[in-house]
Parts: sequence; C-alpha cells; structure tokens
Amino acid sequence: MLSAHYRDLILYKTQADLRAEAAKTYIGFLWWVLDPLMFMMIFYVVFGLLLKRATPDFVPFLLIGLVSWRWFQNTISHGATAILGGRGLMQQVYLPKAILPLVVILTDLVKFGVVLGLMLIYLWSAGFGVGWSYLALPALLLSHFLLILGLTLLVAAIVPFVPDLRFLVEHLLQIVFYMSGIFFSGATIPERYQPYFYLNPMANIIEAYRDILLHRTWPNWSALAIVAALGSGISLLAYEFLTRNDHLYPKLVQR
Amino acid sequence: MSKPSILSLQHVGAFYWRQVGYLRKEQFWALKDISFELYHGDSLGVIGRNGAGKSTLLRILAGILHPDRGVLINHGVQMALLSLQIGFVPYLTGRQNAVLSGMLLGLHKKEVIKKLDDIQAFSELGEFFDQPISTYSSGMSARLGFSVAFQLDPDVLLIDEVLGVGDSDFRRKSSAVMHEKIRSEKTIVLVSHSAETIRRLCNRAVWIEEGQTRAHGDTSEVLSAYEEYLSAKPQSRE
Repeated sequence: MLSAHYRDLILYKTQADLRAEAAKTYIGFLWWVLDPLMFMMIFYVVFGLLLKRATPDFVPFLLIGLVSWRWFQNTISHGATAILGGRGLMQQVYLPKAILPLVVILTDLVKFGVVLGLMLIYLWSAGFGVGWSYLALPALLLSHFLLILGLTLLVAAIVPFVPDLRFLVEHLLQIVFYMSGIFFSGATIPERYQPYFYLNPMANIIEAYRDILLHRTWPNWSALAIVAALGSGISLLAYEFLTRNDHLYPKLVQR
Repeated sequence: MSKPSILSLQHVGAFYWRQVGYLRKEQFWALKDISFELYHGDSLGVIGRNGAGKSTLLRILAGILHPDRGVLINHGVQMALLSLQIGFVPYLTGRQNAVLSGMLLGLHKKEVIKKLDDIQAFSELGEFFDQPISTYSSGMSARLGFSVAFQLDPDVLLIDEVLGVGDSDFRRKSSAVMHEKIRSEKTIVLVSHSAETIRRLCNRAVWIEEGQTRAHGDTSEVLSAYEEYLSAKPQSRE
C-alpha cells in the first residue's frame, strides 16, 4: 500500500486539479452541473417528446440515470489517459504509478459528490422526499464506487501497453451506455431478455438508485453485493498489475 | 581510495521499446554496458555526446528505471534528480505549485510548507508568489522552479546539464548556489556534454559513448581521452 507521503500527494494533487479545473473556464465548476443537465435535455427531447417513450416522472427518472452514468463514464475515460498524461512526471521522478489513476478517481468522486447533492435537492423539491430506503444509499454508493475504482484502475494499467485500447474503451462505454437502462426501465424490455440485461452491473446500479431515490423501496441487495465483490476483485487485480509493472511504464510512454 | 563506495554499477544495460511498423515493437538498448563506482563526497561528471545514454543513466540512478541487465548496488543512499518546474499547473498560484512540486520531488508536505518563505525569498517573486503562474513570464517560472528544486537535499543529487536558469541576474545567482553545492561535501552526479563544465566542477568523471563506459577515473584523464576521441572524429558529424 502507499505510504503516508504518497497519500498526502494524492490528496494535494486532487485538490490542485479541482482548483485548476474550476479556474480554467469562465463559469468554472458550474460545468460539472451543466454537463448532466444538458445530457438530460437531449434525452428528454428525443425520448420524452419525439419518441413518446416517457415513463411517469421522466425528468427525475432520466436525471438519476444520467448522473450515475456520467460518474462511471467520466472516471473510466479519464483513467484511460491517466498514466499517459503523467509521462512528463514519471520521466523525472520516481512515482508509484497507481497515484495517477487514483488522483483521477478522487477528482471525479468529488465532482460527483457535488452533482449528487444538487440532484438530491432537486428530487426533494420535486416531491421525492427522504424515505427509509435512504439507509441503503451508502451501500449503493460504495458498490458503485468499487466498480468504478476497479474498472478505472484496470483501464489505466492496461492502456499504456496497448494505446489503441483507449478508443476501444470509449466505444465499449458507448455500448454499455445504451444497455444500462438510462432512458428506459428494465421492466419495459421483453422478459426473455431481462436476465441478460441484468448481467450488466451498471443496469443494476442505476435501477438501485431509482429504487432508493424515486420509488423509495429497498434495492436488490444481492445484486449490490455481487457488484461490490466484482469491483473489489478487479481493483485488487489491477492494483497488483500496476505495482508489478511500476518500472515498465516510463519505458512504454516514451513519446 | 579510502572513501567508501556508496553506489556501484556493473555492466548495467537498459532498453526502451521502439515501435516498428504497426504491431511490432523492438527493443532499443539505450544503455549497453555501464560500470563505475560512486564514492561518498564525489562530484562525478558524466560526459558523452548527445544520444550517448546520459539521460537514461540518470533515470536509472534516480530509480525511475530499473536496469534490464547488469547489477546496480546501492549501499543505502537516497538519490534524486534535480528537476525544475516539475508538475507545475498553470492555473494555480506560485505558492500552491511550490507545495505540489516539492511534494512530487519527495519532500513531505510539512517540510515544503515550512520552507515556503525561503522559496518565496529566493525566487524573488514577491507578491507574484500568490498569483497564478499562468501570469508569469518564463523567467519567473524558471526562478520558482529552481527555488523549489533547490530545497531538495537527498544523499546524492543528480543534475542534468542545467546549472543556471532564468533571466541573467537570477542565472548568475542560481549557478552560484549550484556550484557551491557541487563543491561542498555533497555527493553529486552531474551530466553534461561540456567538458569545460565538468573540468571545473568534478573530481571524477565517466565517459559514455553509445551506451558503454569508455573511461572512468580522474577528471583530467577521462576528459583528455574524450577530447582526443572527439578531435579524431570528422567535425562534420555532431
């Protein structure tokens, strides 16, 4: 595991990156909020108005799907370039390379926290108050986080070896996006396809968010446990891979 | 010599991957066969032409790369490459960048924070120290970078070429403190392609050519062998 010095470095670097990102544009961190909102507008127009696929409470329904998806997608896609982006650094000092994706994961976690907070405020004001089901929210957030942690570390570890995988990752994310039930609910798809639909961890995660926040029922606990176990397993494997190949990365990302 | 050896390289080699065609990668040996000893208190100059493998050698010494063959024996010393402006982020202030850069160089957060006043004073940035470095001139960034890196105090300091940085006044000041550090009891490894610099600053030298040690020992002996070799070569090829 990383020493206290490197943990401090991760925290400071995360803070620095967040500050820099907020300072970079005119409206700074408002973009973190505008990003899911704009996606929501597109989907609302296309699926709600044009295709008339709107389910009841379509806006909160979409918003929950998009906010939880964007966290997943952004982190993984940033993770794919994390080590490549640190090439200047790793040629000049020795750094445990796992630091680079961990900073990305933490940065996106903070952004998601802000967006989640605002979304909860919206849901409460739209009449979806806090219920007993909220007690399950920490467990859901944890298993969602573990899934993101595992996949991001994995992508970060492997992409430097095969740089073209970066594009494959983007396309895979796109495919999974359409299969995760972001603008439709799992219950509306033909029954014989449902078992396949629920093989996708993100489909389970998004449904659990809706169970807790919209329907205020308990989520599918066994699904959450499986996703958490999967995420932890991948995290450990990917971390091991990163540390084992630590001294290879500076060679791979020469230019 | 009675001084203890603190680091010893025996037939060290290292390769990079080089892309050949679409899918094939080929090993390219930047270092082939490097052997020398580093003694406590030495100022060791590494001389060689461009592409001789000097930077790769520094990366091996700094622990960034591991040797792919041969042996590197480190008798428990901590080594660090003097890197200027490492990890600078344009939108952050000089102060924030100093902390980040210092931490990347290996200083603990508390140590850097304790040294911030020194860094501010040495860099002569005044109140610009609390401005985003995107507002700095390149000379100002160089001053900040040097002032941070100079706080680093490893057992062995590895220096690549640059001794003085920034605008002319600061260049004089920064190269003066570097020279002082090199001449002190501190163990350093200085890489340069200038025989003059190494003659002035180093008591021992290693000459590497195409990834191999050609000579090592007293500076004057190594440099005369190097210069003889250079003058024997046709001048048209630099």
